[in-house]
Amino acid sequence: MDFLLEPAIAIYTALAVALTVWIGIFIFLWRIDSATRELRRRLDKEAPAEPPTAPHATLEARNGHTREAVSVTEPKGE
Amino acid sequence: MSDRLRLEQAAKLLLGVWMAGIIVAMFLVVPQYVGLGDAGRIIILHVPTAWITTVAFAVSAVYSIRYLWKRRVADDAGAVASAEVGFLFCTLATVSGMWFANIVWGTPWNWDPRETTILILLLIYAAYFALRSALDDAERRRRLSAVYNLFAAVTMPFLLFVAPRMAESTLHPNCAFIQGSHCDGIWLELNGTRVGQLGDVVLALQGVEQRGDLVVAQVEVRMPGLREVALLEPSFELASGKPADRPEFPGQQFLLAVEGVDLANGRVLLNMEAPGTGLLSNSRTFWTFMAANIGFLGLFIWLYRLRADVLLLQERLAQREVAYGLPA
Repeated sequence: MDFLLEPAIAIYTALAVALTVWIGIFIFLWRIDSATRELRRRLDKEAPAEPPTAPHATLEARNGHTREAVSVTEPKGE
Repeated sequence: MSDRLRLEQAAKLLLGVWMAGIIVAMFLVVPQYVGLGDAGRIIILHVPTAWITTVAFAVSAVYSIRYLWKRRVADDAGAVASAEVGFLFCTLATVSGMWFANIVWGTPWNWDPRETTILILLLIYAAYFALRSALDDAERRRRLSAVYNLFAAVTMPFLLFVAPRMAESTLHPNCAFIQGSHCDGIWLELNGTRVGQLGDVVLALQGVEQRGDLVVAQVEVRMPGLREVALLEPSFELASGKPADRPEFPGQQFLLAVEGVDLANGRVLLNMEAPGTGLLSNSRTFWTFMAANIGFLGLFIWLYRLRADVLLLQERLAQREVAYGLPA
């Protein structure tokens, strides 16, 4: 491997290293760019039309007669 | 695929090829310079990254102003993304400069005015990121960091452009590499101020004598930390009014020159010169340098927009998790 550092060759070795680093960075950025675009597309697509509802709660008297609810959790967005 | 997306993809591919071309040109087109050797090629990376740093921090400040005005999360993401990319470019400029300094000036760090101010700038923006990470409340974080970012941006032109020029002399390119620009050097006199400083080198005038058409100055040179002390004898040609002998500073490739004399009062104007002065006057170097500026600007735009997109997606995923109890 020492021949790579000989004065006549060293400049080409440095060039090859620099180019390899840049190509690596470029591929990395390209992939992140594609993944970001895809994720944004999926999030836009899956955005639900209606917000999910939260559970309602109703209290009943012990003797079996249904009574007016005293505590209700309102669904989101209502 | 929309036309706009296709255009963006083509621009990114072009940027990839453009930057690869600059790398090839940096090694195979830019000529070597006497005294600098291959170290001169670092300029093609160093100066454009430093320029793009200023652009990035300025863009970040504009986004912060927009955020304070309109309170849009996208503007906050733009400000952070731009500052992060600016910080990355600033680090690249600093490291490539240290690499150059190690080869040419003999040591990677000289506490040269420009080196010192760029370090301060890095610390100011590191504090910006620290501030952001220290605040939990999103709205408060965005508001306070936008205000801080404006203060940081105000210091940037002072630290990068004004302070280094206020210094009496600097090792940096303004003096040494760009033709037409110069630092004034320092006047030393036998019967007055005998000691002065050029960059981080202390000079003491020991004597001035005329030898025929030459005026020779004896100057004691003390390198940083008193590593080396040497007596140099730069000279000045009276007939042409130009420096004659330019001895090298010990252990460095910088030269000491006498640029003016006032024999009646025993005064000499001392300045430093670097091998490779007028680096950009070579057309191959100049055009590679300009192409590098364009390429790094394109890279900055791509990087900060990508980073801003990632930040906004993170925000959306976090909101989605909170609203629907879904995993991110």
